[in-house]
Amino acid sequence: MVLLKNLRPPTEGVRHEQAETSVVLDGQKLGCGTLYVAETRLSWFDGSGMGFSLEYPTIGLHAISRDVSAYPQEHLYVMVNGKLAGENGAAMPEGAADEEDNSSNSGGDDDDDDDDLGAITEIRFVPSDKVALEPMFSAMCECQALHPDPEDDDSDNDFEGEEYDVEEAEHGHADIPTFYTCDEGLSTLTQEGQATLERLEGMLAHSVAQQYHMAGVRTEEANPEFEDGMEVDAAAMEAGQFEDADVEHW
Amino acid sequence: MESEGTESPSRSPAPVAEVFNSIRERTIAENSMVVLLQGLQGEVTTVDLRNESTARGRVVNVDAFMNVRLEDVLYRDGRGKLTKLQDLFITGRNVRYVHIPDHVDILKTMHSQLAKIHRVRNFASHGGGRKEYAKKTK
Repeated sequence: MVLLKNLRPPTEGVRHEQAETSVVLDGQKLGCGTLYVAETRLSWFDGSGMGFSLEYPTIGLHAISRDVSAYPQEHLYVMVNGKLAGENGAAMPEGAADEEDNSSNSGGDDDDDDDDLGAITEIRFVPSDKVALEPMFSAMCECQALHPDPEDDDSDNDFEGEEYDVEEAEHGHADIPTFYTCDEGLSTLTQEGQATLERLEGMLAHSVAQQYHMAGVRTEEANPEFEDGMEVDAAAMEAGQFEDADVEHW
Repeated sequence: MESEGTESPSRSPAPVAEVFNSIRERTIAENSMVVLLQGLQGEVTTVDLRNESTARGRVVNVDAFMNVRLEDVLYRDGRGKLTKLQDLFITGRNVRYVHIPDHVDILKTMHSQLAKIHRVRNFASHGGGRKEYAKKTK
Protein backbone atom coordinates (compact mmCIF):
# COMPACT_ATOMS: atom_id res chain seq x y z
CA MET A 1 0.00 0.00 0.00
CA VAL A 2 2.59 2.49 1.03
CA LEU A 3 5.69 0.77 -0.21
CA LEU A 4 7.66 2.42 -2.95
CA LYS A 5 10.12 1.06 -5.35
CA ASN A 6 13.40 2.48 -6.51
CA LEU A 7 14.19 4.49 -3.48
CA ARG A 8 17.71 4.52 -2.17
CA PRO A 9 18.66 4.69 1.46
CA PRO A 10 20.20 8.02 2.45
CA THR A 11 23.98 8.13 2.35
CA GLU A 12 24.69 11.41 4.10
CA GLY A 13 23.89 12.65 7.55
CA VAL A 14 22.78 9.27 8.84
CA ARG A 15 22.77 9.63 12.59
CA HIS A 16 21.67 6.08 13.25
CA GLU A 17 21.12 2.97 11.22
CA GLN A 18 19.34 -0.03 12.63
CA ALA A 19 19.14 -3.28 10.75
CA GLU A 20 16.74 -6.09 11.55
CA THR A 21 13.96 -3.68 12.29
CA SER A 22 10.39 -4.60 11.57
CA VAL A 23 7.76 -2.04 10.83
CA VAL A 24 4.10 -2.01 11.78
CA LEU A 25 2.16 0.75 10.08
CA ASP A 26 -1.32 1.47 11.45
CA GLY A 27 -1.40 -2.05 12.73
CA GLN A 28 -0.20 -3.66 9.53
CA LYS A 29 3.11 -5.50 9.49
CA LEU A 30 5.34 -4.47 6.61
CA GLY A 31 8.17 -6.87 7.24
CA CYS A 32 11.76 -6.61 8.34
CA GLY A 33 14.33 -4.15 7.08
CA THR A 34 16.68 -1.34 8.04
CA LEU A 35 15.76 1.95 9.66
CA TYR A 36 17.78 5.02 8.70
CA VAL A 37 17.63 8.03 10.99
CA ALA A 38 19.13 10.71 8.79
CA GLU A 39 19.24 14.45 9.25
CA THR A 40 17.04 15.06 6.23
CA ARG A 41 14.42 12.40 6.72
CA LEU A 42 13.55 9.20 8.48
CA SER A 43 13.38 6.17 6.22
CA TRP A 44 13.07 2.43 6.23
CA PHE A 45 13.88 -0.12 3.53
CA ASP A 46 13.21 -3.80 3.43
CA GLY A 47 16.37 -4.64 1.53
CA SER A 48 14.72 -5.35 -1.79
CA GLY A 49 14.47 -1.70 -2.76
CA MET A 50 11.08 -1.10 -1.21
CA GLY A 51 10.52 1.28 1.60
CA PHE A 52 9.19 4.62 2.70
CA SER A 53 10.44 7.85 4.14
CA LEU A 54 9.06 10.41 6.53
CA GLU A 55 9.76 14.10 6.70
CA TYR A 56 10.49 15.32 10.22
CA PRO A 57 8.02 18.22 10.14
CA THR A 58 5.25 15.65 9.71
CA ILE A 59 6.28 13.67 12.77
CA GLY A 60 4.19 14.65 15.77
CA LEU A 61 5.96 12.63 18.39
CA HIS A 62 8.13 9.62 18.92
CA ALA A 63 8.63 7.47 21.97
CA ILE A 64 10.14 4.31 23.41
CA SER A 65 7.46 1.89 24.40
CA ARG A 66 8.44 -0.82 26.83
CA ASP A 67 4.90 -1.54 27.97
CA VAL A 68 4.31 -5.06 26.70
CA SER A 69 0.74 -4.99 27.89
CA ALA A 70 0.03 -2.25 25.34
CA TYR A 71 2.03 -3.85 22.54
CA PRO A 72 3.80 -7.19 22.89
CA GLN A 73 7.21 -6.00 21.75
CA GLU A 74 9.39 -3.14 22.91
CA HIS A 75 9.55 -0.68 20.06
CA LEU A 76 10.01 2.87 18.86
CA TYR A 77 6.62 4.46 18.36
CA VAL A 78 6.27 7.27 15.85
CA MET A 79 3.13 9.30 15.32
CA VAL A 80 2.87 11.05 11.97
CA ASN A 81 0.44 13.87 11.32
CA GLY A 82 -1.69 12.91 8.40
CA LYS A 83 -1.90 9.75 6.40
CA LEU A 84 0.86 8.37 4.23
CA ALA A 85 -0.07 8.78 0.59
CA GLY A 86 0.26 5.85 -1.77
CA GLU A 87 2.03 7.72 -4.56
CA ASN A 88 5.22 8.98 -3.08
CA GLY A 89 5.27 7.80 0.48
CA ALA A 90 5.34 11.29 1.94
CA ALA A 91 2.82 12.09 4.62
CA MET A 92 -0.11 14.11 3.44
CA PRO A 93 -0.64 17.43 5.18
CA GLU A 94 -3.29 17.52 7.82
CA GLY A 95 -5.03 20.48 6.30
CA ALA A 96 -7.52 22.26 8.52
CA ALA A 97 -6.52 20.31 11.57
CA ASP A 98 -3.26 22.25 11.68
CA GLU A 99 -5.01 25.45 12.61
CA GLU A 100 -6.34 26.49 15.99
CA ASP A 101 -9.79 25.45 14.91
CA ASN A 102 -9.63 21.73 15.40
CA SER A 103 -12.90 20.78 13.85
CA SER A 104 -12.27 17.47 12.20
CA ASN A 105 -11.23 17.52 8.62
CA SER A 106 -11.48 13.80 8.00
CA GLY A 107 -15.09 13.41 8.88
CA GLY A 108 -14.28 12.44 12.46
CA ASP A 109 -14.88 8.84 11.56
CA ASP A 110 -13.82 6.46 14.24
CA ASP A 111 -13.49 3.86 11.54
CA ASP A 112 -10.84 5.71 9.61
CA ASP A 113 -8.85 7.54 12.19
CA ASP A 114 -7.32 6.58 15.45
CA ASP A 115 -8.15 10.01 16.77
CA ASP A 116 -11.40 11.80 16.27
CA LEU A 117 -9.68 14.99 15.20
CA GLY A 118 -6.97 14.98 12.57
CA ALA A 119 -5.75 11.95 10.70
CA ILE A 120 -2.62 10.37 12.08
CA THR A 121 -0.48 7.44 11.17
CA GLU A 122 0.99 5.22 13.85
CA ILE A 123 4.24 3.52 13.02
CA ARG A 124 6.08 1.09 15.22
CA PHE A 125 9.71 0.30 14.54
CA VAL A 126 10.52 -2.98 16.25
CA PRO A 127 14.25 -3.68 16.31
CA SER A 128 15.43 -7.16 17.09
CA ASP A 129 18.04 -5.56 19.37
CA LYS A 130 16.06 -3.82 22.12
CA VAL A 131 19.16 -2.11 23.45
CA ALA A 132 19.16 -0.07 20.26
CA LEU A 133 15.91 1.65 21.20
CA GLU A 134 17.66 4.39 23.16
CA PRO A 135 20.14 5.41 20.44
CA MET A 136 17.33 5.23 17.89
CA PHE A 137 15.22 7.50 20.06
CA SER A 138 18.07 9.94 20.73
CA ALA A 139 19.02 10.13 17.08
CA MET A 140 15.43 10.99 16.22
CA CYS A 141 15.35 13.67 18.91
CA GLU A 142 18.46 15.27 17.44
CA CYS A 143 17.16 15.16 13.90
CA GLN A 144 13.75 16.43 14.92
CA ALA A 145 15.41 19.43 16.55
CA LEU A 146 17.00 20.25 13.20
CA HIS A 147 13.58 20.85 11.72
CA PRO A 148 11.81 23.49 13.75
CA ASP A 149 8.40 24.60 12.67
CA PRO A 150 8.98 27.26 10.01
CA GLU A 151 5.65 28.94 10.67
CA ASP A 152 6.33 29.43 14.30
CA ASP A 153 9.46 31.54 14.31
CA ASP A 154 8.81 35.21 14.81
CA SER A 155 12.09 36.04 16.46
CA ASP A 156 14.31 34.23 14.04
CA ASN A 157 17.80 35.64 13.63
CA ASP A 158 16.94 38.48 15.90
CA PHE A 159 20.29 38.83 17.58
CA GLU A 160 21.06 41.66 19.90
CA GLY A 161 24.61 41.68 18.67
CA GLU A 162 26.22 41.35 22.05
CA GLU A 163 27.35 37.81 21.58
CA TYR A 164 30.30 36.92 19.48
CA ASP A 165 32.67 34.11 19.04
CA VAL A 166 35.48 34.25 21.52
CA GLU A 167 37.79 32.28 19.30
CA GLU A 168 37.23 34.55 16.36
CA ALA A 169 37.95 37.54 18.55
CA GLU A 170 41.30 36.01 19.38
CA HIS A 171 42.03 35.93 15.66
CA GLY A 172 42.72 32.38 14.87
CA HIS A 173 43.90 31.20 18.24
CA ALA A 174 41.14 28.66 18.06
CA ASP A 175 43.38 25.87 19.17
CA ILE A 176 44.39 27.32 22.47
CA PRO A 177 42.60 25.10 24.91
CA THR A 178 42.52 27.79 27.54
CA PHE A 179 39.64 29.59 25.91
CA TYR A 180 36.26 28.07 25.39
CA THR A 181 33.03 29.44 24.07
CA CYS A 182 29.98 29.62 26.25
CA ASP A 183 28.61 26.18 26.96
CA GLU A 184 31.87 24.31 26.55
CA GLY A 185 33.55 26.68 28.90
CA LEU A 186 31.04 26.41 31.65
CA SER A 187 31.05 22.66 31.56
CA THR A 188 34.81 22.38 31.79
CA LEU A 189 35.28 24.75 34.67
CA THR A 190 36.84 23.22 37.68
CA GLN A 191 35.75 24.26 41.13
CA GLU A 192 38.60 26.70 41.29
CA GLY A 193 37.81 27.92 37.82
CA GLN A 194 34.23 28.52 38.84
CA ALA A 195 35.42 30.52 41.84
CA THR A 196 37.65 32.57 39.60
CA LEU A 197 34.78 33.17 37.23
CA GLU A 198 32.58 34.35 40.05
CA ARG A 199 35.32 36.60 41.37
CA LEU A 200 35.92 38.14 37.97
CA GLU A 201 32.25 38.60 37.26
CA GLY A 202 31.82 40.24 40.59
CA MET A 203 34.70 42.54 39.89
CA LEU A 204 33.42 43.44 36.48
CA ALA A 205 29.95 44.09 37.79
CA HIS A 206 31.36 46.83 40.00
CA SER A 207 33.83 48.01 37.43
CA VAL A 208 33.95 51.71 38.15
CA ALA A 209 34.19 51.46 41.91
CA GLN A 210 36.70 48.67 41.88
CA GLN A 211 39.01 49.44 39.03
CA TYR A 212 41.68 49.62 41.66
CA HIS A 213 41.17 45.96 42.39
CA MET A 214 41.16 45.00 38.75
CA ALA A 215 44.70 46.24 38.46
CA GLY A 216 45.79 43.14 40.28
CA VAL A 217 45.71 44.22 43.85
CA ARG A 218 44.76 41.33 46.05
CA THR A 219 41.91 41.83 48.41
CA GLU A 220 41.80 40.31 51.88
CA GLU A 221 39.73 37.39 50.62
CA ALA A 222 42.17 36.48 47.90
CA ASN A 223 43.27 32.91 48.26
CA PRO A 224 46.56 31.58 46.92
CA GLU A 225 44.61 28.54 45.70
CA PHE A 226 42.97 30.68 43.10
CA GLU A 227 46.13 31.76 41.44
CA ASP A 228 45.65 30.38 37.99
CA GLY A 229 47.69 32.74 35.92
CA MET A 230 44.87 35.16 35.36
CA GLU A 231 46.19 38.01 37.47
CA VAL A 232 47.71 41.05 35.90
CA ASP A 233 51.44 41.79 36.26
CA ALA A 234 52.39 43.36 39.53
CA ALA A 235 54.13 46.13 37.67
CA ALA A 236 50.83 47.34 36.34
CA MET A 237 49.42 47.96 39.77
CA GLU A 238 48.10 51.44 39.69
CA ALA A 239 44.75 52.79 40.56
CA GLY A 240 42.85 53.90 37.55
CA GLN A 241 45.31 52.33 35.16
CA PHE A 242 42.54 51.02 32.97
CA GLU A 243 40.43 54.09 32.89
CA ASP A 244 41.17 54.71 29.25
CA ALA A 245 41.12 51.08 28.26
CA ASP A 246 39.06 50.23 25.26
CA VAL A 247 36.72 47.87 27.00
CA GLU A 248 33.08 48.04 27.90
CA HIS A 249 32.02 48.89 31.38
CA TRP A 250 28.45 48.88 32.49
CA MET B 1 32.40 26.89 18.05
CA GLU B 2 28.97 28.43 17.84
CA SER B 3 27.56 29.42 14.52
CA GLU B 4 24.46 31.27 13.57
CA GLY B 5 21.58 29.29 12.27
CA THR B 6 22.80 25.78 12.94
CA GLU B 7 22.02 23.63 15.92
CA SER B 8 24.89 21.47 17.01
CA PRO B 9 24.18 18.34 18.97
CA SER B 10 24.73 18.56 22.68
CA ARG B 11 28.39 17.96 23.37
CA SER B 12 28.03 16.58 26.86
CA PRO B 13 27.19 12.92 27.21
CA ALA B 14 24.27 13.65 29.53
CA PRO B 15 20.88 13.62 27.80
CA VAL B 16 19.74 16.72 29.66
CA ALA B 17 20.75 19.91 27.85
CA GLU B 18 20.62 22.57 30.50
CA VAL B 19 22.54 25.10 28.50
CA PHE B 20 21.39 26.02 25.05
CA ASN B 21 23.17 24.72 22.02
CA SER B 22 23.24 27.82 19.94
CA ILE B 23 23.05 31.57 20.03
CA ARG B 24 19.89 31.35 18.00
CA GLU B 25 18.17 29.13 20.55
CA ARG B 26 19.19 31.40 23.38
CA THR B 27 17.80 34.43 21.60
CA ILE B 28 14.55 32.72 20.73
CA ALA B 29 14.11 31.42 24.25
CA GLU B 30 14.94 34.73 25.86
CA ASN B 31 12.26 36.46 23.83
CA SER B 32 9.45 34.03 24.45
CA MET B 33 7.60 32.24 27.19
CA VAL B 34 9.40 29.01 26.37
CA VAL B 35 11.87 29.97 29.10
CA LEU B 36 9.16 29.11 31.56
CA LEU B 37 8.83 25.62 30.12
CA GLN B 38 12.57 25.18 30.19
CA GLY B 39 12.50 25.90 33.88
CA LEU B 40 10.23 22.91 34.37
CA GLN B 41 13.03 20.40 33.94
CA GLY B 42 12.63 17.67 36.48
CA GLU B 43 8.99 18.46 37.17
CA VAL B 44 6.19 16.04 36.46
CA THR B 45 3.56 17.65 34.35
CA THR B 46 0.92 17.08 31.70
CA VAL B 47 1.25 18.15 28.10
CA ASP B 48 -1.89 18.47 26.01
CA LEU B 49 -1.29 17.80 22.35
CA ARG B 50 -3.13 19.38 19.49
CA ASN B 51 -4.66 16.07 18.53
CA GLU B 52 -6.53 15.82 21.83
CA SER B 53 -4.14 13.34 23.38
CA THR B 54 -2.24 14.04 26.58
CA ALA B 55 1.06 12.96 27.99
CA ARG B 56 1.98 13.07 31.66
CA GLY B 57 5.57 12.56 32.70
CA ARG B 58 8.78 14.13 33.99
CA VAL B 59 10.21 16.92 31.89
CA VAL B 60 13.65 16.00 30.62
CA ASN B 61 14.15 18.95 28.32
CA VAL B 62 12.33 21.66 26.42
CA ASP B 63 14.19 23.39 23.63
CA ALA B 64 13.67 26.81 22.13
CA PHE B 65 11.27 25.36 19.56
CA MET B 66 9.09 23.95 22.32
CA ASN B 67 10.01 20.36 21.51
CA VAL B 68 9.28 18.61 24.79
CA ARG B 69 11.05 15.52 26.01
CA LEU B 70 9.40 13.57 28.81
CA GLU B 71 10.29 10.37 30.63
CA ASP B 72 8.19 7.79 32.49
CA VAL B 73 5.14 8.89 30.60
CA LEU B 74 1.50 7.97 30.79
CA TYR B 75 0.13 8.72 27.36
CA ARG B 76 -3.58 8.96 26.78
CA ASP B 77 -4.69 9.05 23.17
CA GLY B 78 -7.74 10.91 21.84
CA ARG B 79 -9.98 8.02 22.75
CA GLY B 80 -8.75 7.72 26.28
CA LYS B 81 -6.60 4.65 25.78
CA LEU B 82 -3.64 4.67 28.14
CA THR B 83 -0.13 3.63 27.24
CA LYS B 84 3.05 3.76 29.25
CA LEU B 85 6.06 5.12 27.45
CA GLN B 86 9.61 5.22 28.75
CA ASP B 87 10.78 8.23 26.78
CA LEU B 88 8.65 10.58 24.72
CA PHE B 89 9.61 13.41 22.41
CA ILE B 90 6.81 15.74 21.35
CA THR B 91 7.43 18.03 18.41
CA GLY B 92 6.86 21.64 19.45
CA ARG B 93 4.32 22.21 16.75
CA ASN B 94 2.10 19.54 18.28
CA VAL B 95 1.95 21.04 21.73
CA ARG B 96 -1.24 22.78 22.69
CA TYR B 97 -0.83 23.23 26.43
CA VAL B 98 1.79 22.51 29.01
CA HIS B 99 0.39 22.37 32.51
CA ILE B 100 2.45 24.26 35.04
CA PRO B 101 2.48 22.45 38.39
CA ASP B 102 0.84 24.44 41.16
CA HIS B 103 3.96 24.57 43.28
CA VAL B 104 6.02 26.20 40.58
CA ASP B 105 6.63 29.92 41.05
CA ILE B 106 6.28 31.17 37.51
CA LEU B 107 8.06 34.50 37.76
CA LYS B 108 10.91 33.08 39.76
CA THR B 109 11.38 30.26 37.28
CA MET B 110 11.48 32.65 34.36
CA HIS B 111 13.95 34.95 36.12
CA SER B 112 16.31 32.13 36.95
CA GLN B 113 16.20 30.80 33.39
CA LEU B 114 16.94 34.24 32.00
CA ALA B 115 19.80 34.55 34.44
CA LYS B 116 21.26 31.32 33.12
CA ILE B 117 21.08 32.65 29.59
CA HIS B 118 22.80 35.88 30.59
CA ARG B 119 25.49 34.04 32.49
CA VAL B 120 26.35 31.98 29.44
CA ARG B 121 26.31 34.99 27.19
CA ASN B 122 28.39 37.16 29.48
CA PHE B 123 30.98 34.48 29.99
CA ALA B 124 31.83 34.66 26.31
CA SER B 125 31.96 38.42 25.99
CA HIS B 126 34.05 38.94 29.11
CA GLY B 127 36.47 36.21 28.26
CA GLY B 128 37.06 37.62 24.81
CA GLY B 129 36.95 41.34 25.51
CA ARG B 130 39.23 41.38 28.51
CA LYS B 131 42.54 41.04 26.81
CA GLU B 132 44.45 42.12 29.87
CA TYR B 133 43.55 38.83 31.45
CA ALA B 134 44.80 36.91 28.46
CA LYS B 135 48.44 37.27 29.20
CA LYS B 136 49.09 33.77 30.32
CA THR B 137 47.90 30.54 28.83
CA LYS B 138 47.88 27.26 30.68
